[in-house]
Amino acid sequence: MTSAPTIATPTQHPAVERIRTLWPAWGWSLVGTLVVLVAVIGVSGGSPLQPLSQALTLVPYLVLVAIGQMLVITLGPGNIDVSVGTNVSMASYASVAVGAAAGPGAGLAAAVGAGLAAAACSVIAILVLRIPPIIATLATSLIVSSATLMLADANRSGAPAELRSFVNARVLGVPLTAVLVAILTVAVVIVLRRTRFGLAVVATGQNSVAAAKAGLPTRTVTGVTYLISGALAGLAGGLLAAFISPSTSLGTSYLLDSVAVVVIGGTLIAGGRPVPVGVWTGALFFVLLSGLLNLLGLSVGAQNILKGLLVVLVVVISSAATGTGRSTVRRLRASLTLPGTTTKQRNNTDG
Amino acid sequence: MTSTETTAIVDGTRGGTALLTVDAVSKRYGKTQALSTVSVELGEGEILGLVGHNGAGKSTLVRLLAGREASDTGAIRVAGLPEGAAFTAAAAERAGIRMVYQELALCPDLTVAENAALSDRRPTGALWRRRAERRIQDTLDEVFPGHGISVLDRSGEMPMAQRQMVEIARALCTDRLRLLILDEPTESLGVDAAEALYRYLHRRTADGVSAVLVSHRMHEVVGHSDRILVMKDGSIVGQYPGGTTAESTLLAAMGGEVSTDTGTLERVEAELDDQEQPAAAREGAAVLALTDSRGRELTARPGEIIGLAGLAGQGQEGVLARLWAPGLLSRSVTVPSSRAYVPGDRQVSGIFPLWTVAENLTIAATRALGRFGFVSGARKRELASTWVDMLRVRGGAAAPITSLSGGNQQKVLIARAFAADAELVLLDDPFRGVDVATKNEIYTLMKAEARSGRTIVWYSTDNKEMAHCDRVYVFRAGRIVSEMPGSDATEQRIIADSFDETEGELR
Repeated sequence: MTSAPTIATPTQHPAVERIRTLWPAWGWSLVGTLVVLVAVIGVSGGSPLQPLSQALTLVPYLVLVAIGQMLVITLGPGNIDVSVGTNVSMASYASVAVGAAAGPGAGLAAAVGAGLAAAACSVIAILVLRIPPIIATLATSLIVSSATLMLADANRSGAPAELRSFVNARVLGVPLTAVLVAILTVAVVIVLRRTRFGLAVVATGQNSVAAAKAGLPTRTVTGVTYLISGALAGLAGGLLAAFISPSTSLGTSYLLDSVAVVVIGGTLIAGGRPVPVGVWTGALFFVLLSGLLNLLGLSVGAQNILKGLLVVLVVVISSAATGTGRSTVRRLRASLTLPGTTTKQRNNTDG
Repeated sequence: MTSTETTAIVDGTRGGTALLTVDAVSKRYGKTQALSTVSVELGEGEILGLVGHNGAGKSTLVRLLAGREASDTGAIRVAGLPEGAAFTAAAAERAGIRMVYQELALCPDLTVAENAALSDRRPTGALWRRRAERRIQDTLDEVFPGHGISVLDRSGEMPMAQRQMVEIARALCTDRLRLLILDEPTESLGVDAAEALYRYLHRRTADGVSAVLVSHRMHEVVGHSDRILVMKDGSIVGQYPGGTTAESTLLAAMGGEVSTDTGTLERVEAELDDQEQPAAAREGAAVLALTDSRGRELTARPGEIIGLAGLAGQGQEGVLARLWAPGLLSRSVTVPSSRAYVPGDRQVSGIFPLWTVAENLTIAATRALGRFGFVSGARKRELASTWVDMLRVRGGAAAPITSLSGGNQQKVLIARAFAADAELVLLDDPFRGVDVATKNEIYTLMKAEARSGRTIVWYSTDNKEMAHCDRVYVFRAGRIVSEMPGSDATEQRIIADSFDETEGELR
């Protein structure tokens, strides 16, 4: 692990430093969300709650997938789950196929099971065969897409009615799924802060060698984390089957979106610092942005370009502002100041 | 203490010209004033010793000398550089200043030769690889005869001692070298390699190359410096001639306890009195056994401190690794089920850089800090503050671990191992970059913890420290060559046994 947090530049005003330490990692994605929300209201001219409520129906699925992705990314450099998208698609069919025969509960369980089975392939490849995670999960996603095609040929039924009413249910105007996923997010926060498993995930991500030397079961932790990611992607697919409908391309956008949302939310891409709350603000930002661009009547191509640029912008601003990474802006600023006044930021190993 | 009142020290060049002048520099990191108006003048061909406790500002000063960081106020002038120009890393390099880092700075995935080529500023052509290989090979051969390093090996796979040699040699490869800064160069080296380094250093200074030597090993600083500066709390508090100054004089000037730190002993013992005292010490059955490749056995009973001695890199680290992770099928190793490990390579395999002191300290003890996989926050804070108070970790439990000096980070890592409540504690060269006062604190802690029934096995590159053990095993080429009680473990005896051919194999 090479990326140590930098020491506050001594030239900075103490008040600036204090704000930096108090400012949460997800703060900038919240600012982004609010800006986009105001823009949406400005363009559509409707009630301020209406676009938010609409976004909350879509956000829970993205948050489910992104929480899993966040845990995997937190495991440290090189860890990413690129099979989440195909897992979502496969699980949507598994949910419908089993759900039609054995009820919606069994359907959801089958979706989670399908995600777990896919993740088990990745875990074996990563831990036993020692294949880099990006390759291992890519291979898994190829297997999973073949399985998805087979499942798609075998059944053409829709999701059970009970599941449909479940995913569309609202509590005081808030989608039930959003409430449940929010509870899950709180649970993840507690797990990461207060359990041995959560601390081991974070420790492994910061320095896997040190984690092993501190007696933490790093391999088990790695395996379990990928399984959680698979299970959550499966659950999202199972629910999406009822919310939209099963399709082979249902999960395609979830791979890149989940990574983008995790990073926008302030989770350190190099691992070791998860920000579960940021997954929510990041996902809201993303979904509202899509809505705004639709309202503006942009073509899909133009939308994607704009989204890509905005993601880069948010990441640059947030990492510069929270001082968590040496961002482009910071390097730019450092190169513009006179040589001699720049501070070479090194890990403080003062002896 | 001869010159405690003056912080500006401007004499001491041996009548020759000054190579480098540090003029009233100050440096602050956040709340910590690392240096306050320090002035130093360094002559050509001079070896300047720099001593002081952890966090006294030695490393900050040498980083400024190498241009790695800019001072807040004051200036650094180097002979030959234009007046008033910014003193950056590039400028320092042009002036022929090179630094050997305390925390090794080699790229682990590159070979020795590639690492050397990385830091070589001479123009390189198509055959850079071959040229770099030859340069580093020649330098290694010259400085460390019989070093046993292949320049085509990846540096990440080499033991600490060899990496340190490469780090030194690649600094010495520099064209027109004028100032060599050595920050704890011998912490990982064995006695023979350290002596070879100093012999070479004196040859180079005779040609006008200057050197700054930062070390906690007082006898080395005294024996090899022309002039010694003592630092304390970011200032220079004394200047002494090399060669003749007594080590105790320097230690007194540094402001540390020269004798055993009774304060720590009292604090540690008070802590232990609260717990019940298992009396099953030293007479009990062996809890640990390891057989080397020729069938000689290493054993340890509860409450024993076992030292692994010998020249550096003779398999002691391998023994620690086998005791830490014996593997499922290994029948030659018997160890207690709960073990804790203090890694030798602090930055690479020790600290969690994004965490605070408290989080770093308690991570290995999480099993004992709660139930059903949950970790109690209150008990975690309590455990952390107990150890932070006991070992006097500067900065406190809530400070980020990276804001601590190397010695204080090491205290946290040692506290982590002892806080884990393991039956067997393994320490891999725990005194790397640690000052004398801290060393005494850690010895005391080890003794007190052993008294409560734990087994401690440790390895040190400094064979003089082995006198603190109950029993010592001397290693050569991965095998045990002798065993002795700690009271007999003098440096001479260990070195003699390390070279004793009657015990060794026939070549």
